[in-house]
Amino acid sequence: LNAAPGRAPRQRVRFLPAPAPGGGGALELVAARVPVLADHPLVRGPRFRKLKIGAGHRLDVKASGVFVLGVGHGNKLLTDLYNCHLTKVYTVGGLFGKATDDFSDTGNLIEKTTFDHITRAKLERILAVIQGTNQKALLMYSNIDMKTQEAYELAVKGLIRPMGKSPPIITAIRCLQFALPEFQLEIHCLHETQQYLRKMVHEIGLELKSSAVCTQVRRIRDGVFTVDDALPRTQWNLQSIQEAIQNCQLKVETELEKTL
Amino acid sequence: RRGLSVAAGPPSTRQLREAEEAAPVFQYAGKAARRKDRVFVWGFSYSGALGIPSFVKPDASWKKPRRIQATPYCLETDQKISSAACGYGFTLLASNTRDITKVWGMGLNKDSQLGFQRSRRDQTKGYEYVLEPSPVPLPLEKPQQTRVLQVSCGRAHSLILTDNEGVFTMGNNSYGQCGRKVVEDEIYSESHLIHQLKEFDSRVVQVVCGQDHSLFRTKKGAVYACGWGADGQTGLGHYNITDVPTKLHGDIAGVNIIQVSSYGDCCLAVSDEGDVFGWGNSEYLQLASVTETTQVNVPRHLPFKIGKVKEAACGGTGNAVLTEEGNVFVWGYGILGKGPNLMETAVPEMIPPSLFGWSDFSPDIRVAHVRCGLSQFAALTNRGELFVWGKNLRGCLGTGRKEDQYFPWRVTVPGEVLDVACGVDHMVSMVRSF
Repeated sequence: LNAAPGRAPRQRVRFLPAPAPGGGGALELVAARVPVLADHPLVRGPRFRKLKIGAGHRLDVKASGVFVLGVGHGNKLLTDLYNCHLTKVYTVGGLFGKATDDFSDTGNLIEKTTFDHITRAKLERILAVIQGTNQKALLMYSNIDMKTQEAYELAVKGLIRPMGKSPPIITAIRCLQFALPEFQLEIHCLHETQQYLRKMVHEIGLELKSSAVCTQVRRIRDGVFTVDDALPRTQWNLQSIQEAIQNCQLKVETELEKTL
Repeated sequence: RRGLSVAAGPPSTRQLREAEEAAPVFQYAGKAARRKDRVFVWGFSYSGALGIPSFVKPDASWKKPRRIQATPYCLETDQKISSAACGYGFTLLASNTRDITKVWGMGLNKDSQLGFQRSRRDQTKGYEYVLEPSPVPLPLEKPQQTRVLQVSCGRAHSLILTDNEGVFTMGNNSYGQCGRKVVEDEIYSESHLIHQLKEFDSRVVQVVCGQDHSLFRTKKGAVYACGWGADGQTGLGHYNITDVPTKLHGDIAGVNIIQVSSYGDCCLAVSDEGDVFGWGNSEYLQLASVTETTQVNVPRHLPFKIGKVKEAACGGTGNAVLTEEGNVFVWGYGILGKGPNLMETAVPEMIPPSLFGWSDFSPDIRVAHVRCGLSQFAALTNRGELFVWGKNLRGCLGTGRKEDQYFPWRVTVPGEVLDVACGVDHMVSMVRSF
């Protein structure tokens, strides 16, 4: 970053003595624009010595996926994005037949159960119920008076969202793959933690009269940022970062304007 | 002090894996696990209509009487209940079993609308309030062969439809709503009289109770009515009471009617072609699309351009219909389900499907049934979810909140809701567990 051409040095007007035109000897003051010495790169030193980097929504050690970072002035946008309360999308992989103490497959085993009675239809029924109860929670925590006409109109458009603190809410959940004993779900949620999603997998297992552990949690979307915008580890260099910031700028601005 | 034969540090990966494979496997549900059918009730409990005696008379000292059950509560039943109906402060549950006891009743019994319930303290008297689902004694000729198909309850009378012994009526008959001659100064409480109706043009397939009148729909598509007619709800062309079920004519003569509905003083009928016919009270603009009068005593065709209608439901002041595409249309007066601004309309207005859970994420959600209570509506989706809206009278909506609900709200029931019956201040639902 420091190698990039920096700002041009400031100029200022100084009155310098210069030999007068015409006769020799007498000195006159002539106005001239001169670069300020204090702005000289050798005086000032490298432009960037530290970079402030802020993190967006937390991501577990055991989880993977899109992780939003703010650089420098972008940190102010981070708080605004947090106040937008946009949904995040995860793909969660699960395994039937085991129950562990921390709900993931690396924990201590508590119980093993049979799972051959589980069918995709039963799983989808449970998912429908989860979606239904969370829909109710969505309406309740949004702190809107249900008796007003605007509450009705927002509910019709599906725009009612909790705009403050709330417990984790799942706005949509569906089954992507189902091959006993493994299954994969796509979960859209708000204000959640990855451990809550693992606990949800465990509870789905209990509801189906069996048990389940979570094998994989991967965030594929965080508000406006998707996996396509994200940079993999091989691309963690200045060029790609700058390109990515520019590509996302427009999206972030429109989203902030829409919500706030 | 640890023993010398126990390993020192944490178990290695191999030991963990071996321990895991050696762990016992528990089986909670096998391949033959069946889904259970349950009944959930909620609403006002002091009338006994919920069927849970401990809400009215607590059986343990720490229990307190519960006036309102705001969320669904599971009711233990001996048999699988196939049909339920809520009246004005009482409930009837019916099972299509071949056993001797087929119908259970609970709630108000001041007009013997639950039959004669012999009091245990005094064998000559009957109960005025029945707090628990108690068998209703039916005078069947062949009790071990006849099946009860459907029950329906009105303000103070009830109808029970059987498959080959006609319709049984019991309760108040001051307007002839039980289909028998009105006896002056008849005392209806503690009465043993249950009337049987058999003379119809063909087999009766649906019975519906309005507030003080009864409607019968036969297999051939004809509709019969009896009872109070001051609002024209009997549809027989006059405003007098009728004490014998008489066939309706008017716009439904010759039309094959596939469903009838009524709860207050207005009636709706749906034909096999998807047309809607209405008659009865129109003070709340229920029939204002065809007439300015407030009472209509002959069935009139309601020319709505909303598509083919599958099901209709009548409430006290508002009506709802369900079309083939799965959309719900409401009209009338009161809380109709489109926010607090829509309080009355004569023309049906559609409720947006997004309020029932339809979205780009789940585009195949449709409403499968609509039901009406006196001032509430209930809708069942094809996923088994129950949505309610309307006046929350004594907690009858089941949302857990005390306020009225101006747009469809999901009721959390632990199971797939198969059917729901709405009353004045309570509701009963038949649910299948997961």
